[in-house]
Amino acid sequence: MAPDALQGIVRQQTNAARWNGAGWREFVADLRSAGVTLAEGTAATGIYATDAGGTAYSLPHGVLVARNAAQVATLLKVAQAHRVPVTVRGGGLTTEGESVAYGGVLLDMTGMSRVLAIDADAMTVRTEAGIYWHGLAEELRRSGLDYLSAPLNMTSSVGGTLGVGGIDVNSARLGCSADQALALQVVTPTGEIVECSDSENVELFQRVILGYGQFGVITEATLKIRPYTPLSMHYYYYSTLREAIEDLQLLDANDASDYSGILTIMDCAVNLLVAFDSAEREAAFKAHWERRLRGHGEFGFALCMAGHYALRPWKLGEALYLFKRKQAVFPEFRRPEFHRDGRMEDRTVVFSRAVWKHWGSRNMVIPDLATSTDKFIEAVERGNAVCRKFFPHYTLYCVGIRLRPEHKAHYEMSCVPPDAEGWAYGCEFEPMIEDAVYSRDHFQSFKNAIYDIGVDLGASYYRFGGMMKGYIRRVFGDALVDKHLAMKRQADPAMILNRDVIF
Amino acid sequence: MRNVDVVIVGASLAAAAAAKRTVDAGLETVILERKELPRHKICSGILSPRGHRFLLENFGPLPRETLHEPTSCRGVTFHFPCRVEMPMDFFHGTTPHLHRKYSDHWAIQRSGAEVHDQTSFAGLEDKGDHVIVHARRGGEPIEYRARQVIGADGPSSLVVRAVYPDYTKQIPWFFVGQKFHEIIDCPLSPDYFHFWFHPGLGHYTWSHARDGRQIVGVGFKRGDNFAKKHQVVEQYLKDKHGVHLKPADDDHEGCAENFGPSLINRYVFGKGNVLLTGQAAGFLNMIGEGMSCALHSGAISGEAVVEAQRRNRPVQEMYRRMIGSEVRRCSDQWNPLKIAFDRPHEADFPEALMKLSWRERKMVLRDMWNFIVLFKEFKWGRQIAAAALQRPLLGGYPVQKWL
Repeated sequence: MAPDALQGIVRQQTNAARWNGAGWREFVADLRSAGVTLAEGTAATGIYATDAGGTAYSLPHGVLVARNAAQVATLLKVAQAHRVPVTVRGGGLTTEGESVAYGGVLLDMTGMSRVLAIDADAMTVRTEAGIYWHGLAEELRRSGLDYLSAPLNMTSSVGGTLGVGGIDVNSARLGCSADQALALQVVTPTGEIVECSDSENVELFQRVILGYGQFGVITEATLKIRPYTPLSMHYYYYSTLREAIEDLQLLDANDASDYSGILTIMDCAVNLLVAFDSAEREAAFKAHWERRLRGHGEFGFALCMAGHYALRPWKLGEALYLFKRKQAVFPEFRRPEFHRDGRMEDRTVVFSRAVWKHWGSRNMVIPDLATSTDKFIEAVERGNAVCRKFFPHYTLYCVGIRLRPEHKAHYEMSCVPPDAEGWAYGCEFEPMIEDAVYSRDHFQSFKNAIYDIGVDLGASYYRFGGMMKGYIRRVFGDALVDKHLAMKRQADPAMILNRDVIF
Repeated sequence: MRNVDVVIVGASLAAAAAAKRTVDAGLETVILERKELPRHKICSGILSPRGHRFLLENFGPLPRETLHEPTSCRGVTFHFPCRVEMPMDFFHGTTPHLHRKYSDHWAIQRSGAEVHDQTSFAGLEDKGDHVIVHARRGGEPIEYRARQVIGADGPSSLVVRAVYPDYTKQIPWFFVGQKFHEIIDCPLSPDYFHFWFHPGLGHYTWSHARDGRQIVGVGFKRGDNFAKKHQVVEQYLKDKHGVHLKPADDDHEGCAENFGPSLINRYVFGKGNVLLTGQAAGFLNMIGEGMSCALHSGAISGEAVVEAQRRNRPVQEMYRRMIGSEVRRCSDQWNPLKIAFDRPHEADFPEALMKLSWRERKMVLRDMWNFIVLFKEFKWGRQIAAAALQRPLLGGYPVQKWL
């Protein structure tokens, strides 16, 4: 019996072997003679030792902070010739070590962070791709404009997000962040600078969007934008995940709100948030949909919880945690400096502050599942059971993602599950690490247990880097993965760009 | 004197896992191995599914030369004096039958660490901010200066003796030996690892197929006679199971085992800048499988070194906080409450039990109890019960019991 006859654990090496540095000095010299100098030594490389996940550590041999597309093209040409791996990093918000360089070159894109042109008539913006969404928002809002959707996070970059998906609380209406890209400037793995869109270099555009950085480095992007509006927020509280998800899907299917999402404290307090850009939309919601929601207001839910825990005194610890959490988190979403006339002025800042302050820790361990609408409740309930098994406290974050039929080609082998029609639904499973220290193995076991649900349900994984190398063949099958691998080999003969993320 | 970030003692699977983490993080790592690699290792080689997963995820697919024949194992079969057999398949499919001589060497090479074989650990001095490691190579003394040292040199660890000179006197020691027989007729399925809950045969009695021969293994309290114990088991297999074997070949082997620390949560994790991991720390899964917990605890020791250096925290603090998950995994397997109400093992014992008739269940439980009584002299009962009761209250096992 051959070793591959071992059944059951269909896996690949996911913790990449460190590149051995063969030919590094010659590569550095060639690059220098081409006008590009790398920063070397631990003082330069040490700050890139890990990503937001904080479980994968390694150091690149050298670092280049990107300044322009020509410089990136030179780097990739010379790296291709010397077979030196290049790992691209934007905000470094990957959670599985995808933006950690296991040797080779770390290309830091945050040096390319200028907004190049805002066209208020065509409602588009052209920007360098290393800019953080928050920086882009600052520029746009001076003109009363806003991006369509972006991760609720201060330090995720435009380029990184377009490469993996990106979700917002308005994704159920406006789609994932990657769907707002109209055109890109891409440096291919062989060092050509190419403009691509749905009408120009179409295939490259399809592969780069949601392509996990395999087919090129995004250096500039043209994005759709919209007029900026503050939000009016409403919160509804549930004690079961199922009811909250059913109501979320009801609102999404009927276009009843502009923003919607679920944020929970474990599975005990489930918060459905609903928000609106305009008074008209809000009034229509109140007239037609609010009464159909089964959630309670804050006071009513507090009474329900008091009754629930009065009958279950052995769950006093859980009740105290909920209360403590409520006292800490709720005011963050109502801070007066971000509210005017009862409307939230800047959801990115409000949510990002709260996320980093109350959810963040040294380890961002956020496995996720993206499923079609009908499989979503089962996925969340099974994932919730896994969270309960591994951690005392955790949170779930669920949103719908409107799919665009004309972008079906973009979605192939991406975070969008193959069987999703109309909407995909995503859930992040995030343990509250607090002051505890867990081993990487504990986190890995937890993530495996969540990802195994995805394999079982035929789901996919969304957001930052959930697409683990070890799962991609199990989810999409050999035929599709081999098709993309062949394309990758053609585009990147030395397989230097973002190794070990997918292939 | 060679100046490095980390010295790992022993070229085992635990060492490979630790080195994988430290090398990946860019730390200069040297592994010291007493023998020349690839070296022989006494072991059943039946890896648990969890260990298999770790190898795949960290080192890639296993080459053929790292496996014995049969290359895989389907599960475990329990045998009882009442003659009931309970075959149990592993939850995640078949697992590899590792040829430790080559699998360990392969994993060590894949870790990317520098290996100094034929180099014996001779002692260490913890200077507070670094450790001086004394070793001998070809009879010549050699020294290393390392920021941290990881002892991954198995149950009879020299690093443990260097750090805790009295520790080996504080725990009971067992001898585990195996003999290899040409097979005349063997009705025992070659797809399974066979284990006997039989107090008359010894503390640890097993058998499985390997490379066309049958292994007959016995484990007992140190001081007993290997040949006699083996003869009893061989006769029992012949009489009760119809296993006809030729006389044992000459290549029999045995080693000392520190069976016990994982039962009673008495792990030994080191002092100062010296970490202990794998079986040196006391990790051993039920049915004596130590490879998967060696891989995982080894990786955690490497992670602790990286975390300590990045966070500028004492490495012991990091290690002892991070190792809790592996302690739970390992000690849960011996925890009677976990066994009764949870599934701490990688094969389903309760389900296999429920497949039996009421009469058979009663006989099996009686035989298991009689087998457990064999361990009465070690006075572990109260400690196991206390740990089992503390487990749900603390969410883990008390750290105060660790050395």
